[in-house]
Amino acid sequence: MKYESKLLRIFAPVALLLVMCPAVRAQTLRLPPHEKLVLKNGLTVLLVEKRGVPLIDVFALVKTGAAADPGGKAGLASVTASLLRKGTKTRTAQQFAADLDYIGGSFEADADADYSYVSAEFMTKDLARGLEIFSDAVLHPTFPQNEADKILAQSVDGVKSSKDDPRSVLGLYYQGYLYGANSYGRPAGGDELSLKRIQRDDIVKFYEANYASGNTILGIAGEFDPAEMRKQIEEVLGTWPADSVTSAPIPATPPEKGKRLLLIDKPDATQTYFAIGNIGTAVNDPDRFAIRVVNTIFGGRFTSELNEALRVESGYTYGAGSFFDSHKSPGPFEIYSFTKNETTIPAIDLALQVLEKLHKNGVTPEELASAKSYIKGQYPPTIETSRQLVRRIVFNEFYGLGDDEVNQLEARIDAVTPEIAKQAIEKHFPLDNLVFVLIGKSSAIGPSVKKYADKIDQRPISDPGFWPPAAGAQK
Amino acid sequence: MRAIWYRCTVLVFLCALGGAAAPVWAQSQAFPVSTRTLKNGMKVLVQPDHSIPNIALYIFYRIGSRNERPGTTGLSHFFEHMMFNGAKKYGPGELDKAMEANGGSNNAYTTRDVTVYQDWFPRSALNLIYDIESDRIRDLTFDPKKIASEREVVASERRLSVDNDNFGLLDEQLWATAFIAHPYQWPVVGWMSDIEDWTMADLKHHFEMGYSPSNATMVVVGDVSPEEIFELCEKYIEPIPSHAPPPPVTTVEPEQLGERRLVVHKPAELPVLMIGYHTPRTDNPDFYALNILRSVLFQGESSRMYQRLVDKDQIALDVSSEVEPAFDPTLAIITAQPRQGIDPSVCEKAIYEEIEKVKDARISDEELEKAKNYRLIEFYREMRTISGRANTIGTYEVFMGDYHKLFDAAKSYSAVTKEDVQRMAQKYFGANNRTVATLLPESEGKAHP
Repeated sequence: MKYESKLLRIFAPVALLLVMCPAVRAQTLRLPPHEKLVLKNGLTVLLVEKRGVPLIDVFALVKTGAAADPGGKAGLASVTASLLRKGTKTRTAQQFAADLDYIGGSFEADADADYSYVSAEFMTKDLARGLEIFSDAVLHPTFPQNEADKILAQSVDGVKSSKDDPRSVLGLYYQGYLYGANSYGRPAGGDELSLKRIQRDDIVKFYEANYASGNTILGIAGEFDPAEMRKQIEEVLGTWPADSVTSAPIPATPPEKGKRLLLIDKPDATQTYFAIGNIGTAVNDPDRFAIRVVNTIFGGRFTSELNEALRVESGYTYGAGSFFDSHKSPGPFEIYSFTKNETTIPAIDLALQVLEKLHKNGVTPEELASAKSYIKGQYPPTIETSRQLVRRIVFNEFYGLGDDEVNQLEARIDAVTPEIAKQAIEKHFPLDNLVFVLIGKSSAIGPSVKKYADKIDQRPISDPGFWPPAAGAQK
Repeated sequence: MRAIWYRCTVLVFLCALGGAAAPVWAQSQAFPVSTRTLKNGMKVLVQPDHSIPNIALYIFYRIGSRNERPGTTGLSHFFEHMMFNGAKKYGPGELDKAMEANGGSNNAYTTRDVTVYQDWFPRSALNLIYDIESDRIRDLTFDPKKIASEREVVASERRLSVDNDNFGLLDEQLWATAFIAHPYQWPVVGWMSDIEDWTMADLKHHFEMGYSPSNATMVVVGDVSPEEIFELCEKYIEPIPSHAPPPPVTTVEPEQLGERRLVVHKPAELPVLMIGYHTPRTDNPDFYALNILRSVLFQGESSRMYQRLVDKDQIALDVSSEVEPAFDPTLAIITAQPRQGIDPSVCEKAIYEEIEKVKDARISDEELEKAKNYRLIEFYREMRTISGRANTIGTYEVFMGDYHKLFDAAKSYSAVTKEDVQRMAQKYFGANNRTVATLLPESEGKAHP
């Protein structure tokens, strides 16, 4: 869940300053008012007025994502989204680009594990034009064969390029090693082999099966007149045929038992990039607020225990931390850092010690107070723009969280006691069962990392795919 | 990676100066900037905005790697790290702990020209932030243990952003080749041997040279009133004495008289191509027309370069250009990633052909209008957050010499003509003025299809 990284604030000490500055009001964090409509064709529409700059943000979430890619064809949802703009019933890819660019608009479409999305941003003065261009891509794509060939070939090279940057692929190897061939294990963008198996026909079928009015949540935020906006939406999206789709639920993967380690060999690497963890939690986990508070203390900010130990005190790395990448079903929990080849073992040892210490000592009342203050103080800028707001509101709807996810956040964060934090640590932060993924120079670190697990796997980074290796993938 | 607290990005690309056109909004709406110059010479700019109960406070110091010398390259950036590692009142580690415990966060970035400190915090932390900032500007301390560990942190940062990053590596080589006299030739993060060699005396000297209050500009945007900020500045900042600014950088890069080329051989999946052209300093009048030219060539999938290299010829995965704000004549850099199996020279040739077309014939009315629209929407994107606005106001003030230019940018962009755009291509994008850098994948016995 990439849209969540930081949270809220307390205003108690503001009282004194209010005397000095009448312009300021103590306020509790709340989402701005918004409106929910369901069109006759089943399309859910969420509208938020947000004044400040004359921009409009549109975000459509299609409730089927990369986790639904057929086996062996990872990347299908992503490629389908990428092709929406590459030819419609009335525009070639070039015409689409020219029309969009002329108004300075932006357009983005891709797939995450749980959903596909199409987003656009344009100026208020171009509302009619912008909405028409956006809906043209969503409703009338034609998926020309030559454009599909182009995107698929580019995507293969894109995967190769990302392997030149260990940062950008560490998570993909990690999720593959953690989930195996299960839905959340596959790379959303596909890999060098899966992309070559995707045919135009697969793309058309994926689109027809999933891009349906009843399977989509549309959010719009920005400077607009609500009545005018409702009328425009009805005009351009009311024509989308009524169609509902039931996405198959994603089965939960049970946490890993024992310890396994995957070493990806990058012979020219001068530092090792590592990820350690296990299956984490779902977006709607009832313990999510306690988890957020504990993870802030453990690995979610600059003064977190992990960063203090691995960066501030030892100088092993430029950064260390941890996060829960929550999905509809439990997503990965990951501790990560990177360090030069020579300090790989001490750095990983230290990360594990910090984890042990969390279990042994729990969190102090001071740490708890600091983390709560941090989460609350840092939250308002995460819903500052129409671009952020529209995503927040659509995700709240999609994941069934409701407005209270924001409006009650301060209270829910404040309700986390040392005892609740302790329970969250025991339940959600793995200790003895861990999966390790390392990208680094195998000849330098290979022998010494074997101590971390009973089962060791290895692959060169240049081998196509991530994990598991497909049959015939080895060179 | 979700490393939201990575501090101190070295190669930060400031697009702040890319923005603007028709800021009808900026002129007509209620975000006026109030300014005051403190007795010690620090200029303070304040823009109240009560839409969220938070504040962005940016301090721009006019010191960067251009103020360094061979042997101590990267010192500005290292110093920036040390600004978080202890002063008189807030000792090592206490600054971050106090700030985060009060709901705030911070970061900083260093470029060739400036070092910028950023604080983002709720209103309730306002006094604390001033206490912290004045403490470290006045009484920074240097703990030998912290110097030792932070040196390793910066080395790790270098490994991350240069040594193990093909684009970072090639970019470093490009600047080192394009400049032979001016200090822009060395990397902001510093050469590894210099990172290993800085001393405490170097740090102390850098502090004395660059950190006079008169060498800084403070920008505050958010849930504040100008009066309260000026009061806080009077209490916390004004008593800090000023001293001489850094000595001027007098070296002028001599005109480049012929193409320069360099090659990096490295294990890699795909090649990288970068071409740097010498372009003027940011406050040069050509700034706006050059930006429009770059929009026509590179912005959006309908741009000339995307259409040609990515879409039609299918020889590149991506093609883009960037120019960072600069006090001295700098580089406009074109970056392309050739597709697998494509020789970078094929991309190079296509790029030159597209540049020649702009020199030979004027761009269309539609292209000009499109580029202006792009610049306008970019401006709105930067101005939509308190942090974006703090950075943009500060960048205009520091690099253009006056934040008012932010509000004139509309006029400046709409004044650009098709002839201006053509002239920019002719004036700056010639063979003799370019440096071409190529990263070629080493085979290592690997068969590329």
